Amino acid sequence: MSFGTRLSFDFEPDVGRDESVNRVACAIAGVVGFLAVWTAAASVVHPDYLLPGPLTVLGALATEFTTDAPLAVPGIGGAVDLPRALTRLAQTLFHLVPGLLAGAFVGVATGLLVGYSPRVDATVTPVIRVLRPIPELAWIAFAIVWLGIGHAGAAFIVGVGALWINYYAAYSGVDGVHEGYKEVGATLGVRTHAGMLRHVVLPAALPSVVNGFRTSIGRCLMIVVGAELFGAPGVGYEIINASNNLDMARSMAYMLVISAVYICVDSTYAAAERRWLAWRP
Amino acid sequence: MTGSDGGADADDAAATDDTAAVRVDGVSKRYEGRQTTQPLRDVSLAVERGEFVCLVGPSGCGKTTLLRLLAGLESPTDGTISVGGSRVTGPGVDRGMVFQEYNLFPWKTVEENVRFGLDRPVCDCADCAARVADLVELVGLGGFEDAYPKELSGGMKQRVAVARALAVDPEVLLMDEPFGSIDAQTRDRLQAELLDIWRETGKTVVFVTHEIEEAVTLADRVVVLGAGSDGVVGDFDVDISRPRERTDPEFAAAVEGVRARIE
Repeated sequence: MSFGTRLSFDFEPDVGRDESVNRVACAIAGVVGFLAVWTAAASVVHPDYLLPGPLTVLGALATEFTTDAPLAVPGIGGAVDLPRALTRLAQTLFHLVPGLLAGAFVGVATGLLVGYSPRVDATVTPVIRVLRPIPELAWIAFAIVWLGIGHAGAAFIVGVGALWINYYAAYSGVDGVHEGYKEVGATLGVRTHAGMLRHVVLPAALPSVVNGFRTSIGRCLMIVVGAELFGAPGVGYEIINASNNLDMARSMAYMLVISAVYICVDSTYAAAERRWLAWRP
Repeated sequence: MTGSDGGADADDAAATDDTAAVRVDGVSKRYEGRQTTQPLRDVSLAVERGEFVCLVGPSGCGKTTLLRLLAGLESPTDGTISVGGSRVTGPGVDRGMVFQEYNLFPWKTVEENVRFGLDRPVCDCADCAARVADLVELVGLGGFEDAYPKELSGGMKQRVAVARALAVDPEVLLMDEPFGSIDAQTRDRLQAELLDIWRETGKTVVFVTHEIEEAVTLADRVVVLGAGSDGVVGDFDVDISRPRERTDPEFAAAVEGVRARIE
């Protein structure tokens, strides 16, 4: 800025992203800072086991990867021995993935329909207003009674969590579809509501749906602890169980497992999203 | 340039009913609501097959409403509209619509956009791919088949929209201020291209604009709708050979004639 009289380090409102930020350096600084605060806090807290430091947690994590535990494979039967962390992770995925997919499918389908049809909207929305605020975990007792302790019950809880995020994502996606697209569709020969949904509304709402599903993956990982509270095996159960036994290091090791899964899945998904939705402005 | 009043024209059209591609009979449109508005009151109009008609008028004169009624996107409160002899009851592929805001499907490439109407419900043309390729060529977008709308300029988007509307081979092309948000130089070129396409395809065109110069540049006939739902207040045949030059005194006189009727 040739006419600038201020020095460059003066604070100015940041309009747009400053491209010159070195994101990698900042990220490293952030993580190192966090570890330093964690280590300092751990050294202050007594007794030691209440807040284990990063190295202790890393040690616990290593133990979980070097100790084997049997993984019962549902459906096929039999068991395979895997490092315990992987066994717990696989157990979590056995209910996380079906719950997530089922909840997302029901949520997206309902959201598309309710968002598209004013009549269905008027009919269903009062009921949804009643059901929506109920926390997923409130269904735990029902899940046990209806589905028993195990993967099915936990999948149900996860599914309820995925349902609403996907429902609202699809609903608002459809709601936001530009009226002009539907008009073009109609003048070009789309005759039925099914055709309009399939060829115009769904593709137009897809970015919102895809993004909602991504959010719901994170949400479902967060409810896994609750879903496994009542004894369904998995990472969440291990977090609760270990901390109940005051084995905080192990509990935190499993928290890191959840974080690692989330980071891997989310960044893969983000990359895939960019490719699928390359048409987005 | 000959000016004639709406009544004489309507009589003329009634006598040769078969040649009318579009017939609007006593059409009114009212929007009931807290404040009831009536953009159209008792409008009658006939458009010959192959004719290029521009609808002009001040904002709120109902020209866009009339076009949407022709497209079947809305229904008239009173009166009847028929296209190609059959009554309009809803949208249909016999009327292609081109919107000011393009309305290209952003998730489809140029080629897929043009093809959209051919796949609904299913193509009946012998070679759809060739037809799409011809249309893309016709609007001068060869080489951009695989581009997404976000990669195109406004003028290119509107070319795609024209090709898409033409793909289903409609009887009538309805255009709602199609060049309204396009810069002046590009607009001149698009107008010339549209006239070429019109000559080549022989379509009937109903073109809404608020720019009198644009109407006089393009149309065989300029129909003026009055403010305050007065209906058709002017109907001018533009008898100037194309391409028309804005500097031509005849052109200026035609523009003045239309302008006088609007104000």
